[in-house]
This record gives sequence, C-alpha cells and structure tokens, in this order.
Amino acid sequence: MVIYLARRLTWAVAVLLAVTALTFAIFYLLPPGDPALRFVGKQPTPENLALVRHNLGLDHPWYVQYGKFVKSIVVGDKYGWPGLGYSYDSSVPIRDKIVEKAPRTFSLIVGASIIWLSMGVLIGVISAIKRRTIFDRIAMGFALFGISAPVFWLGLMALFIFWYKLDLTAGTGYTSFTTSPQEWASHLILPWIVLALLYAAIYARMVRGNLLDTMGEDFIRTARAKGLSERNVIFRHGLRASLAPIVTMFGLDIALLVGGAVITESVFNLDGLGFMAIDSVFRQDLPGVLGVVLVGTFAVVIMNLLVDIAYAFLDPRVRYA
Amino acid sequence: MRIKRRIATAVLVVAAAGLAIAATTASAGSNSSQHAGAAGANKAAAGGVYRVEYESSFDFTGGFDPTGEYLGSAQGILGNLLVRTLIGYKHVAGAPGNVVVPDLATDLGKITNNGKTYTFKLKDGIKFGPPLNRPITSKDILFAFQRIGTPSVVAQYGFYYDVIKGMTAFKTGKSKVIQGIKTPDLKTIIFDLTVPTGDFRYRLAMPAAGPIPQEVAGCFTQPNEYGRYLISSGPYMFAGSDKLNASSCDTIKASGGISGFDGTTKMDLVRNPSYNASTDSPAARENLPDEFTFTTNSNVDDIYAKIGRGDIEDEVPGGTPPPTVLRQYAGSNQLKSNSGDRTWYFMLNLTQPPFDDIHIRKAINWVVNRDALRKAWGGPFAGNIATHIAPDNLLADKLKGYAPYGTGKGDVAKAKAEVKLSKYDSNHDGICDAKACKNIFSISGDRAVEKTMLPTLEQNLKSIGMTLKDRVLKDAYTPIGTVRLNTPFSTRPGWGKDYADPYAFFGANFDSRAITPTGNANRGLVGLTPALVKKFGVKGTVTGIPSVDKDLDNCQTKLEGARPVCYAALDKKLMTQVVPWVPYLWANYTNVISKNVTQWQFDQFSAVTAWAHVAVK
Amino acid sequence: MSGELLLDVRDLAVQFPTADGIVNAVSGLSFTLSRGETLGIVGESGSGKSVTNLAILGLLNSKRSLITGEILLHGRDLLKATPVELRDVRGKDVAMIFQDPFACLHPMYRVGDQIAEAVRAHLDVSKAKARDRAVEVLDAVGIPNARARSRDYPHQFSGGMRQRAMIAMALVHNPSVLIADEPTTALDVTVQAQILELIDKVKRDFDIGVILITHDLGVVAETAQTVMVMYAGRAVEHGPAAGVFDNPQHPYTWGLLESMPSVQGKVTHLRAIEGLPPSVIHLPPGCPFHPRCPHRFDPCDKIRPPLAAMEGGHSDACHLDPDAKRRLWAEREAVRLGLGA
Repeated sequence: MVIYLARRLTWAVAVLLAVTALTFAIFYLLPPGDPALRFVGKQPTPENLALVRHNLGLDHPWYVQYGKFVKSIVVGDKYGWPGLGYSYDSSVPIRDKIVEKAPRTFSLIVGASIIWLSMGVLIGVISAIKRRTIFDRIAMGFALFGISAPVFWLGLMALFIFWYKLDLTAGTGYTSFTTSPQEWASHLILPWIVLALLYAAIYARMVRGNLLDTMGEDFIRTARAKGLSERNVIFRHGLRASLAPIVTMFGLDIALLVGGAVITESVFNLDGLGFMAIDSVFRQDLPGVLGVVLVGTFAVVIMNLLVDIAYAFLDPRVRYA
Repeated sequence: MRIKRRIATAVLVVAAAGLAIAATTASAGSNSSQHAGAAGANKAAAGGVYRVEYESSFDFTGGFDPTGEYLGSAQGILGNLLVRTLIGYKHVAGAPGNVVVPDLATDLGKITNNGKTYTFKLKDGIKFGPPLNRPITSKDILFAFQRIGTPSVVAQYGFYYDVIKGMTAFKTGKSKVIQGIKTPDLKTIIFDLTVPTGDFRYRLAMPAAGPIPQEVAGCFTQPNEYGRYLISSGPYMFAGSDKLNASSCDTIKASGGISGFDGTTKMDLVRNPSYNASTDSPAARENLPDEFTFTTNSNVDDIYAKIGRGDIEDEVPGGTPPPTVLRQYAGSNQLKSNSGDRTWYFMLNLTQPPFDDIHIRKAINWVVNRDALRKAWGGPFAGNIATHIAPDNLLADKLKGYAPYGTGKGDVAKAKAEVKLSKYDSNHDGICDAKACKNIFSISGDRAVEKTMLPTLEQNLKSIGMTLKDRVLKDAYTPIGTVRLNTPFSTRPGWGKDYADPYAFFGANFDSRAITPTGNANRGLVGLTPALVKKFGVKGTVTGIPSVDKDLDNCQTKLEGARPVCYAALDKKLMTQVVPWVPYLWANYTNVISKNVTQWQFDQFSAVTAWAHVAVK
Repeated sequence: MSGELLLDVRDLAVQFPTADGIVNAVSGLSFTLSRGETLGIVGESGSGKSVTNLAILGLLNSKRSLITGEILLHGRDLLKATPVELRDVRGKDVAMIFQDPFACLHPMYRVGDQIAEAVRAHLDVSKAKARDRAVEVLDAVGIPNARARSRDYPHQFSGGMRQRAMIAMALVHNPSVLIADEPTTALDVTVQAQILELIDKVKRDFDIGVILITHDLGVVAETAQTVMVMYAGRAVEHGPAAGVFDNPQHPYTWGLLESMPSVQGKVTHLRAIEGLPPSVIHLPPGCPFHPRCPHRFDPCDKIRPPLAAMEGGHSDACHLDPDAKRRLWAEREAVRLGLGA
C-alpha cells in the first residue's frame, strides 16, 4: 500500500507539472494581447511599457518564466511558501488571495455536496423502490429539470424569489463563519441548493439505475431467502453494492468544483476560487490563473487518490499492490 | 411502511432546519439601518453610510497608487475624497464641472515668464491624515513630482509633466533634483516649464500631482503598491489608517496595507479627523456621509436589485445599465444620465487604402446613419450624436451645432458626390469600384453594441460600394494600437478626456510625436513622418499624410478662454482637412441610485458620481 | 423415508400476466415432501421448476403473479401468510441455496458476517455469538480452518467452498426443508459429487427434507428418493426414483434418459429430443409434449392427459397404455445401447 501511495504521489507531481506547463504555454502562445498594456495607462510610453513588462517577468521567453515559476513554488518567494508570485494588477500576493478565497469555495462545496449526496441518494433509492409509481415519475421529472435548468437562471430565480421578494435569505455576498455563523449560512443556503440541484438530479438518476441493476443480482435473492427485512435487503445489500461508482463520481465532482464553480460563484458574488479563475483570465493576470490552476489540479489529483483508496475500502475485491 | 416514514421524517427535519436558518437570518438579509438624518425627509443631511458596488472588479490600472492610477473612476474617488491638489474641480456636472478652482493653493497661481512659470502659495491648516497628522508642505508636493519622475513607479500619465524643466534629466538619473520645481519655503512652490503650456493648471489638478508623504510613499518604488498605504490629504481616509505603524519602512510594509482597503474587492472610507473644512469650500466638497464603502459584485443584476431594495446606494457600472433596468427606472429621478465627455468613433488609418484618399474618408462620414448607430446603444438615452471630434463641454460650446457631415440619418447623395472625386471610383458613378474598397480588413471588439451596429454600418458602406471583412476580438485595442499591424479600420475605439482641457482630447490622438509602437492612440497616424515610418515599420501610403503638429503647438501656448477657441478651430480643421475619425456618439454616463440618496451630483471631471456632493438618509 | 410430512403442495398454479398474454408458468402441480426424503425435480429451462420454489418461499412479486392452490408447510398454508409471516419462515423453516454461489454471496461482506447476518435475522443474539454460530456451521460443512476462513471474502473462496458456505448459511436455523436450486450446475464434476454428498449428509444428520432441482438426471439418480419430471409447467411423471429410472413411463422422460451418456456401456446413439420447448403463453392443445413426441396418436393433440397413478405411487401424464409404454421403452433402450436392431 505504501508503494502504491508513493507511486500515485509521484504521478501527481508529474500531472501538476504538465498542467501548469500547458497553462503557461497557452497563456503565451494564444493570448489576445500583451498583459502589460493593462497597467500602463491609455497612452503608454515605451519606457513604462518596458518597465512593466520587466516587472511582470514578461521579458523572458515562456519556458524561462515557467522554470522560474516551478522554482519559486518549490522554494517559496518573498511572500512565503509556496511561492506563487503576486497578481499583475494589484500586487496582492497570489498566495494571500488563494488563502482568502479558498474558504469561500470550500464552504460552498461542503454544504452543497452534503445536500446533493443525501438528496440524490434518498430520491434515487425511493425511486428505485417505488419504480414506475407516481413518486418515481415525479422524482425523475425533477431530475430532468435539475439537470436541464441552467445554473445561472436557477440562481437568479432563487435570488429573486427568496431574497428580493420574500426576504428569507441574505442575498449575494459572503460572510465568514467566524464572523457570524448565521450570516454565513444565510448567504450560502441559496448557492448550496442551486449547486446541489444539478448534482442531486444526476446522482438520483445514477443511484436509481445502479440500485435497480443491483437489485436484480443473485445475492439480493439470497438475502431475501435468508429472511432479512426488505429494508435490510435494500440498504445493507443493495445500496452497499451500488455505491462504489457513486463514491467515485462524488470525489471527482468535488474536486472539479474547486476551481470550477464559476457560474454559481459569480451569480452569488461569493468571490471564491472559481470566480478568481475566470476573473484572472479576463484580466490576463497569469499568476492568478496559475494559482487557481495549481490548486484545482492538486485537488483533482488528491481526490482521485482518495477515491481510489475509498473504492478499495468499499469493495474488497479491489486491492492495490 | 417503515422506510417511508423514516424518509419522510428525514425530509421534514432538513426542511425545518432550512427554515430555522432562514428565520434567524431573515433580519440579517433586510436593509441595514441608516443614520437618522437631522432635518426633514427631502433635505440632504449629514451622516449615514454611502454604499457603492463596482461591477465585477475595481479594475484599477495602478493599484490605486495616485502617482500611477489612470482609471477614471479611481481618480474620481481620489479627487473627491482622498487627495487634495494645488488646484482642483468643483465636482459638479456640465461645463462648471470642468472649471478649475484652487484647492490646497490660495489661488489659481501667478503665471509669469510668458506662461512658463507658475507660482503657488499653500493655504494654512492643511494636514495629512492619520497616522501622520502633520501639516502638508511644499516639499510634499515636490515629492509627488519626484515620484512621478521615478521610472520604477510607472507613472502612467507622467509624460504630461515632461514640460517641467529638468524632469527628463531627473528621470534619466542625470540630475538628483528637478531643476524646474523650486520650494523657497514650506508654503511656496514654483514650477518652471520648458514651453508655454496653457493647460498646465489642469495637469496640476490630476491626483498624481497631489501631496505625498515621503516617509510612507518613499518605501514603495514599485507600481501597484502604495495604493494600499495611501495617506489622505482629503476629507476622508481609509478606515484603519490610524492603526498603521509608520515609524519605519519595515513596520509599514509589515502591516500589509491599511485594513480599510484590501486591494481588490473592498474599500472602506471614514472621515479624516485631520481635515479642516474651513480650508476647503462646500462648492467643491460637502462631505455629508460619515462613511463610504466600495465593494465589488460579480452579478450585475444583483447590483441593480440591491439598489432597488435600498441595500446599496449607488454603483460604478461597467457599461450602460441593462435594458430592463433602464425600462424600470425610465422617467424616474433615480435614473441619472450625464455626458461623459467621451467620443465613440470609427477609426480610419490614413496610410491604408482606401482610407488614404480624403474623399473616401469624407464619404464615410456622410454615409453612416448615426441615428441607427445610436439605436444600438439604446437610442437618444445613450447620448448625443457626435458630429465633430471633441464633446462640446470641452470646447466651451464654441462648436455647438457644428455638423459638417449632417446629423442623424446620413446622406447617401452627398457621400456619392465625394466618392466621385476619389481615385478609387474609376467610372465616377459615386460607387467605389476599386479592389481596395472590397473586403476591407476591420477589427471590432466583442461588445454587444458593436455586434448590433455592424449591420447598419455594412449597409451604409455598401451603398457607396465598400465592404468589410470584419474580425471580432475580445481585446481589440491591442492590435489597433500596434502600429506595425497596419489595421485599416475599427469600430472599437472611443476616447474620454484625461482632464478637462481640450488638449487632453487632441494631443494623444493627433500629435505625430505621441505615436508609440504599441498602445498607440493616434491610430490614424496623423502627422506621420518618414522617420516614423522607418522607426515603426509602417506599410502603405506613407507620403502626403497631413499633420496638425504645428496647430497643436500653437494652441498649447494659449491661455484660459483662448484655448477652446483655438481648439475649436483645430477640431474644424481635423473634420474637414484631415478626417481621421468617423465620430458617431457622445456617450452619456448612466447611473441608477437608490431611494435613500437625498442628494446626488455628477462629477464631470472623472465622469462618475461626485462623491463630494452626495448625501444619504 | 416415511418421515413426518413437511411440505404438501396441492394443485399449485402460477400465472404471470404479461403484455403478450398470460404466462402459465406452473399448472396443476401437486407433490409432497417428508423428513428424510430428497425430492428431485427435473426439467428443462422454462419448465417451471424454479418458479415453484420461489412460490414456496414467497419470493414471487405478488403484484405481478397470480398464484392459486395451496402450499402447506407443517399444515400451514404459506400462500395465505402475510409478508411478515413469510419472512419468518424464510431462512428458518425453509432454506434455499442457488445455482451460482459466487453471485449469490454479497461480494463486499465477509463470508462469516453474511452467515452471522442470517443468524441474527431470526434470533436476537449478539454479533459475537452469531459469528460463533457461523464458524460452527462452516465447520459442519467441511470447511477447514473455519474461523480463519470465516473472515474471508467470497472472492477468496473456491467454487466448491462457496457452495459449502451457502449450504452452511442455509442451515443456521435448522430448517425443516432445504431447497437446492441447481446447486451443482456451476461447479466442476468432481466438486459436484462432493456437494451432492454433503447435501445428502446434511439431510441425514439434521433429518430434514430436501428438494433438489436440476436439469441433470444424473444428479438426481444419485441422491433422490422421489423424482418429479416437469414439462411446460406441469408434472408429466412423478414417482419413486427407482421406478422412474427403471421403468420410465413418459416419452419425455425417455428422451431425457436417452440424452444422457452412460458409463455402463458404449452408447452408439445419443438421441436428442427433437424440437424446442413450447411457449408457455401459447400452449398447444392437448398434451403439451405432443409436437415433439414420436409416439403421438389421435387423442394427443385434443385431450390433455391427466396425471394418472400406477401402482407404487408412480404416476404419469400420457395417453399411451402401460403395455405400449413398456414395449416402446424397451425398443428405445435397445437402440440406445446398441443391442439388437
């Protein structure tokens, strides 16, 4: 197991390097313009332009810059470890920005994932048990709605109904948990539900499908033949066997939200890592882009590893050398 | 069945929890309480918090460092609330808002030496705010200019001050002092210029020319840094300024910035206790709210929803408000629209066929249907149709009504008459038939207005035989500002004034000496010389390009009221003899304010809300 | 073999309404099972043998099946029992083992835990006690190192061991009836013999009744006391094993016997039964076997032959008279063993 972990972690480093190198290349080979031009005013003098480009490290070819980037990650820079540099446009250290924005994204992800997992599994199980009844049809209809409705529309609708008209929640923005837990929850309840809706729908369908398949397996017949209660049969035998793919999906879905919940974060003005990613791209702030890419890739790699370990834990047929 | 009951219970528990959260936080979601004003409901009273949201991000180009910051809205905050200058504005709308008045100086300064020497005396009782709390001296003004002359700080409009004697020598390190600025005593400062510069007062009214304390700003020689440590000379300051330990550069930097400004998403301003209102004038600053907060919001609809509910007072939008918002507030006094002193135009590159022929350039100016183009921007609400280069405000209305190519719908007949005279119309039928008129390469930005304008433009051009090959780019400014790319035409550009003197409109756009290889604003390449051709690698028609350099130099020597007269004449010359632009819209700046605002003004200088004159319930 | 009567199935019929018509999976089935008796139910796929078992255990979906008749277990009609009562019976009074022991065990739980679960399904004991019982039964079915093996997962057991474990699981509550549905079909021939022997031993040691369902006559020949041959949902021959094998009455049984290779002598002619099993939705009129029967004659396609008993409790459903049957069988046997023309 230790060797397996070591091997996976080595791969993780390789993936991180590859992804960041690719990001660098894209930024330099396909950019819409010179990032430095944003910070030299309307009528840039050549001297100012050269100076700013030098400040931003843009006067080296991209592979040299990449080398410096990797070096500063490993050894740190003047802002601490890991050295992610500073934002082009505000000189705020990227590390500080990420540290400030990460809790917002994580708050969003944790809350939403708990909701979507419980709702998805619940609805999926009930739908499977009550296959083809009115409940099943409504549930799958809801699932179709959840998958089809665009997140930004759901978000705006939710804000309009629950904040603007009914004044039940706190609206857009973010308050940290330490400042005020109620405000924190009140700001996040709508984004949680909106984000969870999409995934809950997908998971409900998946759980329903998997459970229906599993319930046709022979060991279910054995369980019934043993005289177990139907609840035991469904949850201990049926659900347990159909969970493995759900767990895999869950881990990866969470990982992808780390830098990916852009729309939800924008609509609800949560200013998390997802919004930082897109904002940095628009403002051609390469260090910002790289920072989020790094964090996001790392999250995916780690979650991948955790999911694989969990899978081995769940299904004893799977063992790693 | 047991399963059903348990599941139902679980659902109810979750729902109950959700409602419980909602109930306890319902109060947190509603309007935060405002300071109760003193007098009656409609009278503007002191007190309260004026809350503003920026669309998406502050977008500061220089990190709010007054020496470098170029963004108009940032200069508005600086000039209204944080930085006083020798000379300032009244922060009101229209022509009166473009008039300079003394701020830190006792008067507008004595001009001697044929307009080359300006002498100012500082008022008594002017001080820096916390943590310094000390009197402002002429040395602090001098330091501001030394900072402008320090290349590493990247003063983004520093070139305006190259007219000060010895500035270039200081910049290049040849001299340790700026010869042209003298401070004989702590209350006197004298500027010597290399040439008579009629708009020098306007340049002194920019935030970069405001006093800067060396003991703090001297620690920051890189761009985008000092902004978070800004020491106020105005009526307000960053919240938490008093907590800054200014004993040494190390302690200053260790703080990471004053807590009231985080650099990217939140700025909190409170009253500056060291500000002495008797040294200022209510005509310029009324300072009614107790506090200003500026925050960012990535959701535009949410900004206007909050204004509608009264959760915030004002916004700094990225563009025009969404059409639904305009409809909602049409006719209401919450909707404010003012001229932004900005001209939107189509750029014509004088070196690229067929635009190297003045008749073609005139023909385009005749044929475009400016009315229809304005419709794409939202109709008459979006602003006035532009008929010449600079907005009338800047020319003191001397060219009001001047429309050499008509107004409104365009005139095909007159356009064809011009085309007939052009070398690209071989059979003189008024339709351009040369190859140069077909598939002209054009660059547009990805703004919705350009997408909507393009069909009208193409239709107009077709009637005189011209077609475009248009390319949409997110960042169109870079290629059209890169000289060697030789872009012939673009629908992207606009130009807003840097300061309230017409030179700010004509200098960068038409002076051949302002042409830079990248980020070039003189996109028509007016005044192109053979030396410049070689230097920048221009290809096309490079001879016979008209120049207005001499006219600019001449107008720059004029003072006061003679300036708009001179520049009005230059505007006319450009529109009739050079024709580098197809101006079509003088855009308005449109704002929606909440019902809580009891007084509101527009700051013509920065083209945003006049923070100095607002009041909230 | 004359033990207490455990199971008395009377006139059992199971119908499934489908979109294409009513499926008569089982019709008019009657049999008994006593202590110490092994009843072998033989038939092809679709003959209704598995459906019969599921009906006994109450594992058919009551919403989609019409069941008539009586299934008396210790005198109590299971078809009239409530789901709770049925659950009480399953695993306790009647236990069942299935064909593919690998698929029948949950892959993610340890074998011992699954057996312990069966224990705690009907007995309120601690987990530790249940696990002890699991080890006990695993040992009883001949698994070496029972305690250590009980902590293994199913995929760590060989095929034969898995089936032993299934048998062990079936025995935890000392059921009266053990139903084994094709227990050896998925196993190697050598292991088959072991399992059959184990089932037989269990029957003797615990004094229970066993229903052995299979399509393989050879399996039945070894261990069953009574044999019932099913075809198209009906019993076509039913009687003591010796009688059925020595003196088979029904042409279908003849066909089954003939299609078996023999170790006794060289079989020159391995004869398959022509034709295909009938659709149980559209049964042919008269005898369900007649389309494939080489001996059919006039009444066969009009009147369904009833299950008629001979002496010795041996019954069959065929219109042929006993003498004709004897003669025809002798002829066929001769052909099969290559004796004479």
